[in-house]
Amino acid sequence: MSILRKIRSIFHDDWCSECTSVMETRKKQLYMLPQLVGNYVSHSNASYYKKNLIKVNKKAEIPTGYYACGIYEYRCPKCNNKLVKLSIFLPVRDQEKVEEIIYFKNGEMNDFIREYR
Amino acid sequence: MEKVKKINIFYLLGYIFIPMIICAICFLVSYLFFPKGNGAVILIMGPSFLSFIWWVFAGSFIFKRKTKKFEKELDESGFNRNQTFYGRGKTVLVDLKNGKIGLVFFWNPFKTYTIPASRIEKAWVDDGKGGIGFMEGSSRVSFLFLVDGIKIRVDTFTSNQRFRMDSDYILTGISKADMMVKMIEEAKSNSK
Repeated sequence: MSILRKIRSIFHDDWCSECTSVMETRKKQLYMLPQLVGNYVSHSNASYYKKNLIKVNKKAEIPTGYYACGIYEYRCPKCNNKLVKLSIFLPVRDQEKVEEIIYFKNGEMNDFIREYR
Repeated sequence: MEKVKKINIFYLLGYIFIPMIICAICFLVSYLFFPKGNGAVILIMGPSFLSFIWWVFAGSFIFKRKTKKFEKELDESGFNRNQTFYGRGKTVLVDLKNGKIGLVFFWNPFKTYTIPASRIEKAWVDDGKGGIGFMEGSSRVSFLFLVDGIKIRVDTFTSNQRFRMDSDYILTGISKADMMVKMIEEAKSNSK
């Protein structure tokens, strides 16, 4: 594994942190996060998201002024490393204002993802 | 039916001119009776300093106190504060269920308004978009509504710089303004 590729992997969400292979997206789902614009509070604990996220099918279902959360589940085809990414953003008309990206590497969100599968 | 007044002209003029009149009287007294010494210093510096303090801080102090008092009164009267928006110089409170809107203005803080949302003729967002090409952007985002033909503008974002339309500041401002317009329209639909 080249050092250059290792450095490049820092800038790619979907590259495995162990072997730098491109990970496959196993699942992605959109949720509504019940926090209003101007009152966003960051949470790093997975239990907060498990308790509060509401599943939606498209952005239009999220009321104006509320945050959205896109959950991406990645798996490395080579080393079987797993990663869950939470992309929290504010949908504004046809644009998105990304507020925060959170990673869970130790399977903290697995039960939640399985529940909605 | 009482009309909404954004500015109480007596309060505005009093706010500006009463300290000036007090200063002028003190300067005159100093000139006539205390041309030198401690008396002159007190009569000239004291009112000038206090006037400066008044002009800088008193307006927002009075406005904040009156807003807090109004919120308390509304809570006691059964007004459901679904959303309170503290704009620059205006506070807008929305009761979705009962279709009511509460208003407090910086230049009319002694008169607060609780109006049925049906009196709002129109509500819309102004993203302040201006300029062309790479200069396109905005320095102000606000939501506006018409009550009894009076236009009320509440800023959700202001700056002395122009930001691109996809900047975080502008998007947040637009989102807040969109949300408030939606709430006002919902309150209007629930209003009797």
